[in-house]
Amino acid sequence: MGKFKHPGPGFFPFGLAVILAFLALALILQSRRKEEVPAPFWPERTWRRPLLGAAVFLLYAFSLGYLGFILTTCLFLVVWMWGVERIRWLTIITISIGVTAVLYFIFEYFLEVPLPTGFWS
Amino acid sequence: MSEIWAMFQGLGSGFGIAFSLNNLTFAFIGAVLGTVVGILPGLGPAATISLLLPLSFKIGSPVTSIIMMAGIFYGAMYGGSTTSILVNIPGEAASVVTCIDGYQMALKGRAGPALGMSAIGSFIAGTIGVIGLTFVAPPLAEFALQFGPPEYFALTLLGLVMATLLGEGSAVKGLIMVVLGLLLGSVGLDPISGAIRFTWGLHMLQEGIDFVTLAMGMFGVGEIFYNLEKALKTELVTRKITHLWPTLKDWADSKWAVIRGSFIGFFIGILPGGGAVISSLVSYAVEKKVSKHPEEFGKGAIQGVAGPESANNSAASASFIPLLTLGIPGNAAIAMIFAALLIQGVQPGPFLITEKPDIFWGVVASMYIGNVMLLILNLPMVGLWVQLLRVPYAILAPIIVLFCCVGVYSIRNTVFDIYVMGIFGVIGYILRKVKLEPGPMILAFVLGPIMERAIRQALLISAGSPLIFFTRPISGTLMGGLILFFVLQAFFTLRNRKKVPGQ
Repeated sequence: MGKFKHPGPGFFPFGLAVILAFLALALILQSRRKEEVPAPFWPERTWRRPLLGAAVFLLYAFSLGYLGFILTTCLFLVVWMWGVERIRWLTIITISIGVTAVLYFIFEYFLEVPLPTGFWS
Repeated sequence: MSEIWAMFQGLGSGFGIAFSLNNLTFAFIGAVLGTVVGILPGLGPAATISLLLPLSFKIGSPVTSIIMMAGIFYGAMYGGSTTSILVNIPGEAASVVTCIDGYQMALKGRAGPALGMSAIGSFIAGTIGVIGLTFVAPPLAEFALQFGPPEYFALTLLGLVMATLLGEGSAVKGLIMVVLGLLLGSVGLDPISGAIRFTWGLHMLQEGIDFVTLAMGMFGVGEIFYNLEKALKTELVTRKITHLWPTLKDWADSKWAVIRGSFIGFFIGILPGGGAVISSLVSYAVEKKVSKHPEEFGKGAIQGVAGPESANNSAASASFIPLLTLGIPGNAAIAMIFAALLIQGVQPGPFLITEKPDIFWGVVASMYIGNVMLLILNLPMVGLWVQLLRVPYAILAPIIVLFCCVGVYSIRNTVFDIYVMGIFGVIGYILRKVKLEPGPMILAFVLGPIMERAIRQALLISAGSPLIFFTRPISGTLMGGLILFFVLQAFFTLRNRKKVPGQ
């Protein structure tokens, strides 16, 4: 950590930790003074859609390496729009194919990013 | 006189750069993208610029990419009002107050003049802001050459404290976010001794947490998860927008509001920690105070649209001043542009104008052009952009998430970063739920290394005496201002508490 004369690598983080401790104390005192009824964190099953979104996100990251960019992206859009949001099928299919094509073109050709191809390459 | 002459010369060469076909194209793309993200609620300029950070190399030279990113930032100020007026949801944070009177005007069938006035006001104020930037930045940069570590520490501290306390929500929570951001910024190699800190033995963390991954996770993915809860619905007040050009009476009513808004915006934008959001709130309060008919506010007063919409544009231009002259970003969106400069290997600071005049003057000149482009995009073509509000969020959300994923992947071509971004997304979602704003945290993350280096070097100079921050004239003044600010804040908090008994 060093001294004030020669502040070392731990000097700044340590100072921050001290300030953070005081701020946390202030927050605790503040919340004890207010006597409000705590609102439920997720009223009326509102956790459902964010959780679904996070699950689809995780699945996307996981399957990118196996199924390749084109298929995974298309599936991601279909699953999200149908599973998380429920839209008409025709819209889902058009948008999924269209968006995948546009993204593929922009990144693969215009920006020259080698997108994952999956196990069939 | 020779200095003013040098400025005109610089501006002239800047126009030469900005008028090249490539730079004009990217200024236009920036203006269009800015308008679009301004209009779309749930996607702000900070998130959009963070999406484009991994691409900034591929866009081209530093000038070109900064021209485009700047266009997104001030373009969003134009677009934001459209959603506020027509849907009563702010298109982005700096247009929150525009909802109050803008939406009332739309309900009374005066959506046209409200949209028209905010576009014209934005143009006037944006241009005034850029003129200010042109003439204030060079002398300020020269002045900043005298700044040493104590001054930089005082400036960063002032900026972070002001950004938190002037913002919305609890001050304690804001400061907690700032400290967390500073701590996150200290992960990786220590900038002075090279010691490894907080890496938990993970090799991937040695270079620190990647700014782009953090920003995209917190702002992009986190925001989407948060909005998924609410099922964002956009319902337009009117289908047809007519009479965009304000009447003579509208002009007479709002001309001073535009002028006042421009100056308020400029002075707030230039402050460390200031920015477009705060300036629009201040402008609204001022307009209400000086008006002869304050009772009309909240019922569709055109000044309540013209003032704040002007202020946020002028502030957007002015907030480039601390970035380009001191190397200190004042708000989250500017912090993204700061990161973009660093990615391109350009260190913003007092030497930028003299050492890289093409970047400074090219970007400044492009802002004059960009404002003209935006006036055209937002006045005759506003009907086209309004169609965007018909696209359901259900379709936009997965597309934005995809952009984040591919963007973050493209930095190092590894899926690992997508997971990291997802984790930050979940953290960002939870932080929003407990009303901890990620904005100050991102700003602190960027300022952290500057601040740490400054405080440690200052203490080395003074042989350990913290008095060095108070005895040097410039840093002493800044610290004095900070203390004054704290005292005033405490005073007003106590006074308000007395006013409302039982709270």
